[in-house]
Amino acid sequence: MRILLFGMIAEKAGTDELEMMAPGTFALRQMLAQRINGLDRMSYALAVDRVIVHEDVVLNGTEEIAVLPPFAGG
Amino acid sequence: MTRIFMMDADQPEPQAHKLRDIFVDGAIKPAFIAESIAKHATRTDIGGHEIFLGQVRADQQQGTNTHQRTRAIEYTAYRDMANEQMTLIREEAFARWPQMTCLHVHHSLGVINAGELCFMVFASAPHRQQAREAVAFVTDEVKKRLPIFGKEIFAEGGHVWKENQ
Repeated sequence: MRILLFGMIAEKAGTDELEMMAPGTFALRQMLAQRINGLDRMSYALAVDRVIVHEDVVLNGTEEIAVLPPFAGG
Repeated sequence: MTRIFMMDADQPEPQAHKLRDIFVDGAIKPAFIAESIAKHATRTDIGGHEIFLGQVRADQQQGTNTHQRTRAIEYTAYRDMANEQMTLIREEAFARWPQMTCLHVHHSLGVINAGELCFMVFASAPHRQQAREAVAFVTDEVKKRLPIFGKEIFAEGGHVWKENQ
């Protein structure tokens, strides 16, 4: 599935988009931590289809995932 | 009852709730704000406008022996999610202040220099209280809930990522 990266996380990863498969958001967090150096020490939120999720959400592979660093609007 | 909103943030004609794009490329120009105000002249049921304008501040970085000063902020956003969140905030604002006549929100993307405007919240209502409260609410919620990211670029080179408190 398509994983969108933003701000300092995109900068760290060296890309603003990844393609990965994971059965759920907790598993995905572990995979992202392996792929993006230092991510485990950063504060970020995961959005599934543009809604932030905190619990372990089951993924079927068609979702749009976004990895969101702290917000800075305004 | 279906609450009525404006489609294009600058047209004071009412429209149904719908997703719209709040983002503009580059700084928000004072002339644009003046035009937005002027377009409300036909709405004689309005008794007061309240406007919040966010301006890029030339922050001095604290805590180190460096003297880096912010020259500009480069804004990026998860645009689809931000616009969806904005629609929800708009619905909440109109539910809380049902007499509000209209609400316009714009946010910049791209590099905005210190001293330029990057954010506008503009509410109009028959009486000042509703407009004032709605602008305070919407401004805070936008800062909290919209996935917008800011890279503070230093005059001396280098950058840090801005984080809302």
